[in-house]
Amino acid sequence: MLLLKGKTAVVTGCLRGIGRAALETFAKNGADVFACCQREDERFAEYVLELSGNCGVSITPVYFDLLDEDAVKEGAKFIQKSKKSIDILVNVAGANFDALFHMVTMEQMKRTFAVNLFSQILFAQYITRLMLKGGGSGSVINISSISALDGNPGQLSYASSKAALIAATKTMSSELAPKDIRVNALAPGVIKTAMTDTLPEDIRSRMISKSELKRIGLPGEVAGAILYLELTAALDRRGGFRTCC
Amino acid sequence: MTNVEKYTECFVKAFALRDDEDVRPLEYQSIAQWDSAGHMVLMALIEDCFEIMLETDDIIDFSSFEKGREIIKKYEVDL
Repeated sequence: MLLLKGKTAVVTGCLRGIGRAALETFAKNGADVFACCQREDERFAEYVLELSGNCGVSITPVYFDLLDEDAVKEGAKFIQKSKKSIDILVNVAGANFDALFHMVTMEQMKRTFAVNLFSQILFAQYITRLMLKGGGSGSVINISSISALDGNPGQLSYASSKAALIAATKTMSSELAPKDIRVNALAPGVIKTAMTDTLPEDIRSRMISKSELKRIGLPGEVAGAILYLELTAALDRRGGFRTCC
Repeated sequence: MTNVEKYTECFVKAFALRDDEDVRPLEYQSIAQWDSAGHMVLMALIEDCFEIMLETDDIIDFSSFEKGREIIKKYEVDL
């Protein structure tokens, strides 16, 4: 059954990991997708072509760097010009500059917050305005992290930026609910991605040991949770955040 | 349809006004529909109509029909 047939989604961070898994899940469920990535990638373009052909949906790559505000705006403008009404935004893209509390530089903090919070908000401002033009209705899912709730040694900037994203989600939810735009956040545990591959082994083991499953999660499992949230959110109008994996 | 007519239509649509209603005197919060939520619907319709993306500062400054005209002109729209 195509659970998202007729819907159009915008997903950031599609080049790999959770973003790519979300793109695949959405396409397999019949949604057209604007697949946002940091940079052009030939292999990704080929993958997208194959996926869209197999699923019979439209997948449009959109390239912009979340560290560049003008580029974020250009990305949103590109989507606006398509004249498609947008139903779903999934903010997956994130950055992690690990450093211990006494070692973290303000430059690292600023870069992490720029990607994980400021640009997510900026992009969501643009995309939710596209949702509003059709009289409202839509859904935003921000991908936070279990680190936002638990903290982790060496993850001061990442954990605090993801915690701020949860706070932003709750505020966005209360402001946009009257316009029938639902805003939720997911806080996945440690997931096997390029980002977590770079985590020091002791931190990764510590995070896994705190999870209920006692194993590393997979991007597809988070994509399943995103889909679940998207479908149940249609019934449950409250915004908020949930943990998974 | 001229750009001024399109601009006017955005107000009519955003605030569910009658087609013949004079929108020129309208200011932010001068009618119940132009509250913060209505404001964002208006901004979305204007962006869609003229294929522009408004800067946040301009959204904040957009306080009336006339002020909005000045702002939209900055985006190379002949209003």
